[in-house]
Formats: sequence, C-alpha cells, structure tokens
Amino acid sequence: METSRGTRRLAAVDRSAAALGLFAGQKAADALAYVPNLATAEAEPEADAQALLALVDWCVRFSPAAAPDPPDGLFLDITGLAHLWGGEAALVADFRRRLARNDLPVACGVADTAGAAWALARHGDGASLCPPGRQGEVLDHLPPSALRISEAACAQLERLGLRRIGEVRRLPRSQLARRFGLELITRLDQAMGEAPEALAFRRPANPWFDRLALAEPISTPDDLARVCGDIVERLCARLTAEGQGARRFELAYHRVDGRPQTVEVGLAVGAREASRITRLFLPRLEQVDPGFGVEQVTLAAFEVDTLSARQAALASEPAAGGGVEIAPLVDRLANRLGAERVWTSQAVESHVPERAVARRAPFSPEPPARWDPARPRPIRLFRRPEPIEATAPVPDDPPVQFRWRGQLHRVRLAEGPERIAEEWWKAPIGAVSAAHVRDYYRVEDQAGARFWIFRSGLYEAGAAAKWWLHGLFG
Amino acid sequence: MSGFTGTGRALDAVRAKIAALETGGRGDPASLSFGEVSVDRCFPGGRGLPLHRWHELGGEGIEAETAAAPAAFVALLARPLLKAGPAVWIARRDDLHPPGLAGLGFPAGGLIEVWVRDEAQALAAAEDALGASGVGAVIVEAQACDLTAGRRLQLACEKGRATGFLIARRPFGGGAPGTAGGSAAATRWSIASAPSQPAAGRPGLGAPRWRASLERCRGGRPGAWLFESPGAYSNTEIQDDAHPLRLVADLGDRQLAPAQPARPAIPFPVGGDAIARRRA
Repeated sequence: METSRGTRRLAAVDRSAAALGLFAGQKAADALAYVPNLATAEAEPEADAQALLALVDWCVRFSPAAAPDPPDGLFLDITGLAHLWGGEAALVADFRRRLARNDLPVACGVADTAGAAWALARHGDGASLCPPGRQGEVLDHLPPSALRISEAACAQLERLGLRRIGEVRRLPRSQLARRFGLELITRLDQAMGEAPEALAFRRPANPWFDRLALAEPISTPDDLARVCGDIVERLCARLTAEGQGARRFELAYHRVDGRPQTVEVGLAVGAREASRITRLFLPRLEQVDPGFGVEQVTLAAFEVDTLSARQAALASEPAAGGGVEIAPLVDRLANRLGAERVWTSQAVESHVPERAVARRAPFSPEPPARWDPARPRPIRLFRRPEPIEATAPVPDDPPVQFRWRGQLHRVRLAEGPERIAEEWWKAPIGAVSAAHVRDYYRVEDQAGARFWIFRSGLYEAGAAAKWWLHGLFG
Repeated sequence: MSGFTGTGRALDAVRAKIAALETGGRGDPASLSFGEVSVDRCFPGGRGLPLHRWHELGGEGIEAETAAAPAAFVALLARPLLKAGPAVWIARRDDLHPPGLAGLGFPAGGLIEVWVRDEAQALAAAEDALGASGVGAVIVEAQACDLTAGRRLQLACEKGRATGFLIARRPFGGGAPGTAGGSAAATRWSIASAPSQPAAGRPGLGAPRWRASLERCRGGRPGAWLFESPGAYSNTEIQDDAHPLRLVADLGDRQLAPAQPARPAIPFPVGGDAIARRRA
C-alpha cells in the first residue's frame, strides 16, 4: 500500500488478490470495501530497488551484461550466449524455471531490441520469442502502452482510438511528433531497432568472462578447488591465445539458493599463468560458503591488457627490468596480507617530513620527484614526535643535553637548524600559526647515536621552548 | 718436512670437507668483499660476506627496540646486492623512513615494503621472499628466529639465491630479542652508532660511523671494526665498484669500548666550533 497524492492506494497485489478483482493503483478504501479481510503492508520502494539489484547480480550467471529497469524489470543482453543453453527458448525456460523455484513469478520476452523485448515481456504471453528482424509484425498487435511511453500520451492515443501499435505506425511521423512529442517517435524507433538505445548495465560488459556449469551441485573444498583450477585454465587459455594478461580476477560460486559467493585476487602486473593464478585463489577458497551446494562457477578477468609487449621489453634488459620478475612474490604477499600492506614508497614534493612519503602499488609508474640525499633525514621517523626535556642555554642554539625516555643524552655535535614551516596554503589561513614552525637539528650524543630533534614555535622571551624528538639516524 | 706438508694437506682436506658440510654441499660460496683484507679474512675463505645466506643483526640498549643503527648498517651492506634485483623490507612497525635510506645511497624508490601483523607472518613472508627469484636482498625485522625457522630461511635462501638480513628488534614494550641457543644464521652482528669525526674546519656532523662487531660467523671468526659511510647525505654519484662501508679502524682483538663512555672522556664542547649553525 502506498500514499500517492493524498490517497492511500494499492501499490501491488498478489495473485490471490488479483483473482478477487483487486488491481494495483486501486484506492485502498475501495479495496477494503470489496475484501474486508484484505492483508495489507506498507510499500517499500527502497527495499524493492535493492531486491531488483540483487536479482540483476544473480542474472550475471546468464549474461555478464545485465541492466536493471526499475521499478520491476531488468534487461539481459544475451547476444551470442544462447548456444550455451542450446537456444534462446531453452535459455528462457531455464531462466523461468530457476526463478519459479524461488517463487518469483516472471514474464520474459526475447527480441532484437530492448524496446521490443520490453513490450513482449509486459504485454506478450510471458515467454515470447520474437524471431530476428520481425519485431514489427509482433509489436503491431500490442497496445500502445507497450511502447514505454508516459501514461498521458498513452491515454491520449487511446482516446483517439489508436489501440494497436500497428495503427500508430501507419500514421505520418511528422504529425505524430507534433501531437505527442519526440518521446513516442523515439520509443517507436527504439523498439523497431531504427534508433539506438543505451542500457545502463549493472557492470560493464566484459568479454573476459567464462562460466562452468556443473552437472551436480558441489560443496567439498576439494571440488571447489578443482573447479577453480579448471575455470582459471579455460580463461587463461583464451588470454594466452590473444596475447593478453589481466590484473584482477573475480571468481563467483553460484549456489543453488541463488546467492553468489565471490572471491577476488589482484596482481601487481598482468598475468595469465593458470597455475599461478589458481595458487592465489586457493587460500581464499576457505571463505567460500557453499551452502547447499554450488551449481555454477563464473570467472571474470578485469584490467586486461596486452602482455606480449611488456615481456619483449623484459627480455631485452634482463637485469634492469624494474624488478618485474618478482611480481609473483608481490602478488602472493599482497593477496595473503592485504593489498594495503605491500607498497613502494614514492617521493612527494613537500618539506614536511611526514608528508614527504606516499605509498604506491609496486610496479606502478614512479613519479619524477626525488628525495634530496643532501638533506639528511632519519632512517626511523616516529609517527608522533616524542617530547624531550632539553637544556638549551642560548635561545636559537641546539640543546647541550636532553632527556629522552628517561635517559640523558649529552650533545657532542649538532647541525642545524633546518627550519620547516607548515604548508600554510593547505589549511585555512586562520589556522596558520607561528607555533607550527619547527627548527630541526641533527645532533649526535657522546655515544655516537644520532637524533633528529626540533624546537616547535619561534623563540619567545619568558616562554619555555618545547623540544621534540622526531627520528633516529642510527 | 714432508711430514709437515702431509699434515697441511690433510688439514686442507678436512677444511674443505667442513666447508662442504657447512655450505650444504654447494660448490660456490658466493661472497661480497668489503675491500679490506682485515675484514674479509674473518669470513669463510677470506672472501667477505657470504651471499645466498641470511645474517642476523641487532643492537643493544634502546637500539634493541628502535633498531635504527642496524637498519642503517643493513641498508649499506645490502646496497651492492641490489644490482641483482629489488629489495624487500618486511616489518611489523611502519617507522621506516625511505628518505633516510635514500640519504645513505640506498635506492629507496624500488624498495618493496611489507607490513606484517605478527612474528609468524614476518618470518613466513621473509621465507617466501627469499625463495622467490629476482630478489636482491630481503630485510626482515623480527624479534627472534628459532632454529627451525632459521633453517627454513636458509633453505629458502639456497632456493632463491637471495641474501637475507634479519634485524633483531623487540616489539614495543616487549622483552629483549631472544637469541637463545644456536642460530642458523651465517653471521651474527651487533651494531652500534659511533661518534663521527667531522673533517677539519667543517661544521656539523661527520660521515656516520658504526661500531660493528661480528659476534658469530659460521666458518669464520669474530671481529670488531669501526665503519664509516663516506658518501652518506651527499649529492655525489655513487661509485658502484667501491663498498659503501669504509673501514676506519680495526677494533680487532682489543676490548670493545663500553657503550656508555665515562662522562669526561671527551671534553664537552659548549658553543664554539663543534656546534655549527647553518642558517638557511
């Protein structure tokens, strides 16, 4: 039940309610008058939209290109896929059977264009197949509302006595456009395949996709591992044949209850060695919950790129190949520990020591920035500078001694100061303060230990200077 | 006379046999010379640091926790090995600062850093990295490495032809790094920072120095030296043929200087030349 324009109306009815003569859009008061013991529930459009998206995700088992058509429909691009089921009719039958098993009533239509398929699904007999190139004949018998046009336009067409699409098509186009706007013409052309139509697919159509249908549901870890190896080998054979390599693989186990279980591995450099990719998947398979069994496996490869060119470059310079030959090691570590735990550091143009380093994925292109070796930086930098008690008799001089972690260090040699101010252009101008200026000194104590200490803020008579230890040189 | 040469031959044969046992039957004990006979002769065959093995380094006092001096020393030891491939640095803490490595001439831009959660992961990752082909050096910071784990690291080294460095580092607030009992490491070092010696008339600090004592060496003998990194923190081009560590003094058989020298050992300079100021 929903509220529209101040009236409680039925948003949807189930089969038994429809049998009693109730229909969607009926006033709730009328419906309750007909059927006093009507069980009603509040409409939940958000939950419906989510359920639709879940259904679209599930449909990936049929085709990688699935697009939601809110509020209650979806498009599947089955171009070139039907032979996997033995024809479009078999595909539709399988689709209907699987949804019926989950108690989802469904009406489908198959046609050359999305518009014609929509019309057939909504106004056909529920499982109509339109032969290729003959959508005109099929659509001519359907009412104009099958054209995905607005309700107002639809009502106006009916008022004019146009009850079939065929009658609309026979009218001159210029008059139709003037009377009903461009929408009707566009929708008509889209249904006939004379105008293009873009569908927002839930995920990009990916040609690097393979599926393995299993004769019987499997659930043991050994079986899961075996089918993983089989499907990786199939896709990798295709990648090899076309000289491609992928950087990300997504393996989905489709359970009998319709919930896919996905595992993903990423690679630092494109690859297509089946055994290596399978080994990356295997430790992940323990996360897969097969439930009552897995009946289908799909594998998709992403970030596919030509691999042969890169390998040719590798062979020409074996020693200085940028270390790409250790990519398998980086992949193993990144997939075991998490991609954010394996990195390469790169220089950032910033004087603030905490900001001079950024992490990047190994083997990603290195920026031109370099750390200046002539500016001594510690080998250990504390995330938070540690406060020290320093004795500095002359205001702008380094301390003669300081106490850190309870131990007294007498300064033997010192170098500095290197004044590092905050990056005032990165903060609101009101937040900039002279107290954020740091004067860094490199000091060496009597035992030879080298420290990086700084005094925060400028010297002020009367105020005690604050000293911090920021890093160790070793 | 003939008896003496005969004994010599027999001794040589025994030495060769022991060497074969210690290298696990492999013929070519690759090594990296320090460019100083007095250092190299302490290592097996007098050839310098054995490669395709793993080495353990640690510090004392606060260094057991911060491990700054061992890290700097390892960076210099491993630098010549990186011509063969990139380095992998495995640690539980993320306080390694790559610009500091760059200052020592270490190619930090190609370093692969791995941040692990616990000891077991650190050693497993190190074993994996050592066994991979194309790795130049593997540096792992870990608390301890027992005999079994050490043996596994050694087998991985032999498989992947990489050289490993284990920096013994105790976790924050934890106990001392335990090196109880034996170790499968080829060498064990104790590294400490040493006072630098600025060139006459130059302000500031001199080139960084370390006191390195080789406490244990498989097939060699212990030693102690004072090393300096002459090229550190300068823009000069790195010379590939020279070892990044220069021997300053052979502390040899002499008693090592205590970690904390007596207070008035070096006159404490106040102001004057020693505390140099460089205003930008």
